[in-house]
Amino acid sequence: MKLKQGSFLWYLYLDKLYCLLSVRNVKVLVEYFHLLDVHHNNTLNDVLFYHFLHHVTNWKRRQIMIVFNMLDWNAMGEIGFDQFYMLVCILLAQQNHLEEQFIFRHSRPVFELLDLEGELRIGADNFHMYNFLFNIKKQELKELYHDFDVTGDRRLNYKEFKLFTIFTMDKYQERQKAEKENEKKRKKEKKALLKKKTHQVNINTAPKVPIYPNTYKHWLELSS
Amino acid sequence: MEEKPFRASLGSGGSDTSRPDNDIRNLWTRATLSQSKLNVPLPNVCEDSDLEDSSPHSKTRQWRNEKARRDSDGGWDHGEYKGGFKQEELEDHSLLELQLRQESSLGSHLEEGDVDSKTEIEMSSSESSLNILKHTPHRAYWAEQQNRLPLPLMELMENEALEILTKALRSYRSAIGRDHFLTKQLQRSIEGLKRRRSKRLNPLAY
Repeated sequence: MKLKQGSFLWYLYLDKLYCLLSVRNVKVLVEYFHLLDVHHNNTLNDVLFYHFLHHVTNWKRRQIMIVFNMLDWNAMGEIGFDQFYMLVCILLAQQNHLEEQFIFRHSRPVFELLDLEGELRIGADNFHMYNFLFNIKKQELKELYHDFDVTGDRRLNYKEFKLFTIFTMDKYQERQKAEKENEKKRKKEKKALLKKKTHQVNINTAPKVPIYPNTYKHWLELSS
Repeated sequence: MEEKPFRASLGSGGSDTSRPDNDIRNLWTRATLSQSKLNVPLPNVCEDSDLEDSSPHSKTRQWRNEKARRDSDGGWDHGEYKGGFKQEELEDHSLLELQLRQESSLGSHLEEGDVDSKTEIEMSSSESSLNILKHTPHRAYWAEQQNRLPLPLMELMENEALEILTKALRSYRSAIGRDHFLTKQLQRSIEGLKRRRSKRLNPLAY
């Protein structure tokens, strides 16, 4: 998923540690929500919600309606500002590649969102359905159920899900460290290459035989 | 009756205390008005400064009132600006004192009737009023930031909302028809947004 460049949401950002919006951003978001709330119910119906997401993301109709049904947890046919705020945080987390961190920091609300039937357990189907939201790949899903389904019922309860979020967070942090180290190495190599090149250039341009003016004159006289 | 530049620039907050609901844009308009009054002859300026004998105290009163009003309104992020406003108060005090001292020295020069010094005096008085005017727009800017969203951001939001709602209107018309009250409500919102946008783009027309 990519947010439309230059759209209003594109200018917002999450706090990288807690994966939430700042007070200033929330105030702006409230104003934006009220602009879209044309019926003055403090809610957005399915049509307004669809057109909003269709405008700011590249999701298809099917994906947008899945998200709407997920957020409409009261089954009112409308979503309020709380759900809208949650959605914006998820969108920004995906845009800024903070999915692992977001799931780790907000494991309880994410678990409740994925637990559609309210059984306090998430099956593989739920994960697969919301794959596009949290960017969990198929291979990772298989590993998830293989490694963390402690009870063996092929579904994850909240504790198992929490373990999964801690594990993915550790992996994410290790990946970040590895990337930083790689960058440092690359910079060092570049510097070393530059030094070598400048040294070679200095050697090439320097004169091979020292010329002393007095000896040259003497040579000229002798040759004439 | 001749106009008084210092009253215009310094007394910008005075009317706000009596009319707390006054639009923030008045601070901007008064700043531009006072800037145009730099060419007022100096004797008038000196007379006016003499009349403004309680100006530093009136300014602190104005600032306290404005700050109280902002706090009660639940401003933008007033945690950030509390220290900043106190500093601005002190700066305004020191500026006013400087100005009064300069004016008293300018007044003595005038009495001697020296033409060259008169032009120098006019230059220095314009500079001092410019220094004060530098702060007036900043005050208006920070006051706007406290209570309102920045105008470019509002413009971006409204333009985007207009696009989304226009598309939604087509869906409403095809799904529930043009005469449904929800369709009419949406249409009215769109028209309101369009009016605001055209008001912003063509302020003279309104």
